[in-house]
Amino acid sequence: MTTVGANFVSTEFLANSLVKPVMQAQSQLTTAMTEESTGQYANLGLQLGDQSGYELSLKEQVGLLQTLTSGDSLVSTSLSTAQNALQAIQSGAQTTLQDLATWTPSADSGASLQNMGQSALQSLISTTNATSGDQYVFGGINSAVAPMAAYYSTPASAAKTAIDQAFQTAFGVLPSDSAAANISASDMQNFLSGPFAALFTGASWTADWSSASSTNTSAEIAPGQTVTTSTNANQPGFQELAQAYAMLSEFGGSALSSDAQQAVATAASSLVSQGVDSMINLQAQLGSTQSAVTDANNSMSSQLTILQDQIGALDNVNTTATAAQITSLTNQVQMAYELTSRLSQLNLAQYLPVP
Amino acid sequence: MSLSTAFNVISSSFAANAAQTAVVSNNIANVNTPGYSREIANVVTNSYGGADVASVTREANAALLEQVSSSTSQAAAQQAISNGVTTLAATVDDSSSTTSTSGANQNGASPSAMLANLQSALATYADSPTSSSAADAVVSAASDLASSLNGASTTVQQVREQADQNMVSSVNTINSLLNQFTAANNAVVTGLQTGANVSSAEDTRDSIVTQLAQQLGVSTVVSANGSESIYTDSGVTLFQVTPRTVSFTPTPTLVDGANGAAVTVDDVPITGANSPMPIQSGALAGYAALRDTIAPEYQAQLDQIAGGLINAFAESDQSPTPTLPSLPGLFTTPGETSLPSMTATTGLAATIEVNPNVDPSQGGDPTLLRDGGISDPGNPAYTYNTTGSASYTGRIQELVDQISATQSFDPSAGLGSSSSLADYANASVSWLQAANQQASDASSYQSALVTQATAALSNATGVNLDVEMTNMLNLENSYASSAKLLTTVGSMFSALLQAA
Repeated sequence: MTTVGANFVSTEFLANSLVKPVMQAQSQLTTAMTEESTGQYANLGLQLGDQSGYELSLKEQVGLLQTLTSGDSLVSTSLSTAQNALQAIQSGAQTTLQDLATWTPSADSGASLQNMGQSALQSLISTTNATSGDQYVFGGINSAVAPMAAYYSTPASAAKTAIDQAFQTAFGVLPSDSAAANISASDMQNFLSGPFAALFTGASWTADWSSASSTNTSAEIAPGQTVTTSTNANQPGFQELAQAYAMLSEFGGSALSSDAQQAVATAASSLVSQGVDSMINLQAQLGSTQSAVTDANNSMSSQLTILQDQIGALDNVNTTATAAQITSLTNQVQMAYELTSRLSQLNLAQYLPVP
Repeated sequence: MSLSTAFNVISSSFAANAAQTAVVSNNIANVNTPGYSREIANVVTNSYGGADVASVTREANAALLEQVSSSTSQAAAQQAISNGVTTLAATVDDSSSTTSTSGANQNGASPSAMLANLQSALATYADSPTSSSAADAVVSAASDLASSLNGASTTVQQVREQADQNMVSSVNTINSLLNQFTAANNAVVTGLQTGANVSSAEDTRDSIVTQLAQQLGVSTVVSANGSESIYTDSGVTLFQVTPRTVSFTPTPTLVDGANGAAVTVDDVPITGANSPMPIQSGALAGYAALRDTIAPEYQAQLDQIAGGLINAFAESDQSPTPTLPSLPGLFTTPGETSLPSMTATTGLAATIEVNPNVDPSQGGDPTLLRDGGISDPGNPAYTYNTTGSASYTGRIQELVDQISATQSFDPSAGLGSSSSLADYANASVSWLQAANQQASDASSYQSALVTQATAALSNATGVNLDVEMTNMLNLENSYASSAKLLTTVGSMFSALLQAA
């Protein structure tokens, strides 16, 4: 009997020894080819294991930043609309201011004051009712309703009725009544700074003139950074300009004496000038929000780049290495086929003479 | 020495040659039989100086066989766990949708990704609170999240029921193998007593032990009379002269919170928490771990996420002096009238749904998301937007923040007691994928060990065709020489007789 030593190999093992490596190489080959074509690990969950949650949280941060970035573009649009409207209101007020400076009672009976007031008030109201999308930009959080009610309407608007009543209460007549000519400049001044001015503040303003909410809209422009993204028609600037334009429209061209009309023009002029300052303040406020949004977008865009890189570092395979792996696996499989074929020839029976 | 002695020697040589040829033939015939141990003919010199085959030894290697069966058990357990966990991991698979970098499914279909989508939808709604399409998008993201929790919960139940089914077939296999073992073991014991060749019966016994090892971890002891006893790797007797009864009652429906029955051997449980001697390896141990530990833990995490969602989106009494209890808001379960306790969340993931009051497809009003009052529409106590403003974003922003806000969880689900909802959902994905990775790695490691141990056993006890062929050539030559010797001695006898 032939003795066997440590080098003994069973024929069954020899015949099957290459089957397992070939199967392994083939399965690695399919994985490598998937990874080569997608650039990412074939089975991400299996690859990352307990890092999967971290990878998901990175993707979620990317999603949140993308949502905030697209939300910021809505905010920017509505801020630009508001800025344009404020600019239009402010330049209209500047024009009125210049016109008032050149106006003298001697040259005009007051009809041009009235026209000035009417057109300025109408454009103030329509500009204040500016919309961005379906939202009124000066409505505060009550953005679904036009913030300023129409003034010239039939039947007379609440604001117009309130002014007429106040005048009647103060002087016993309407401005159009010829008896109004007897009102002195100082009485007129007192009326304008007293009962008349009261119509443009507080509860009277929100009842007759404005439907806007004093609460401004706010939005999260970057993670954890919430800013006020609008202003509203209850701001002093709107009240001052509406007050100035309404007094010009109501009392210019009325039966008032030229002294009283001069007083109206003077009061209006000072209010418009205040209004211009207020508008510039509002523009500055919105401007700083606009630059905050731009800054937030820039910083989010660089954060996005960093996050995408981190996700890429977790998810992506090195395609060069994968290509090299595919080549070596293909060689390995070919080698195994070759060996299997040679091994099957390696059999003593092949070399024994047939008796 | 006489010529007649020479005749006797030659005839014993023929007998020994025949016996050795039989062994070689037997070996060659079984060259490709897995588990076959090669036989060796032991030739001794007899009293005439000739050769006899005294015995046939079986080239067995108990140590290597033990290694094969223990690594087989380990591999089978890990494979069973890996298969189940892979199915569970399909509920959090996010690699399928990596091609899309934006949109609803950018992060896949896991509850975690759906939660992120909901947060994004809410953030979008916060930017355009007047948009009814943005409100609809929130409701649809919320209902996707609820269905992904329902779906994951169903998958967990299926995995547990499948494991229970597999345990049934595993137990049947074990019982049938133990019966086969009885026959083979009796053959060995009787054969040894009568002096018959028991190699083939011993091969059968070894092969049955290896098959048993697939199902559960075993160890064996051979007694003096050749009878082999089988114990589980935890020490419970499975076979000693007679087979023990392994029994198991299947549980057809394993809803969240229901426990499956334990496998018992002679009424001693060998699986489950109440077992004094639980088995450590084998497919049966894998199925039991999957059914009783891994899947229920993942289910508990899903339930915690569901409970956390209902609580995070709850609505509280907004009156200046709150008197009413907080109620389930956007997320609820059918017929629920109070908030769930985080320590009793069993079954929530399976039943969580979007509150019909806010779901437009069920006649609800999505703008309640902005205004509040989902829990009890029309009740001013739960209305957040008291002025009815179209651009009121306070409540929406609150909901966005709730997803990232820290809240309490039940630590028994294995993911800590305090975390944000988003982090908790991510941690659950990490937990599951880590288990997946671990089971898959362990499974490939153990099957590599099986391959190595099997190769070692095959090399130690298997047949090499070339060796047998060489033996056969030797036997052929010795036969030819014996025949030549016989002719020569014969002619010597003839010469002697002629001379006489």
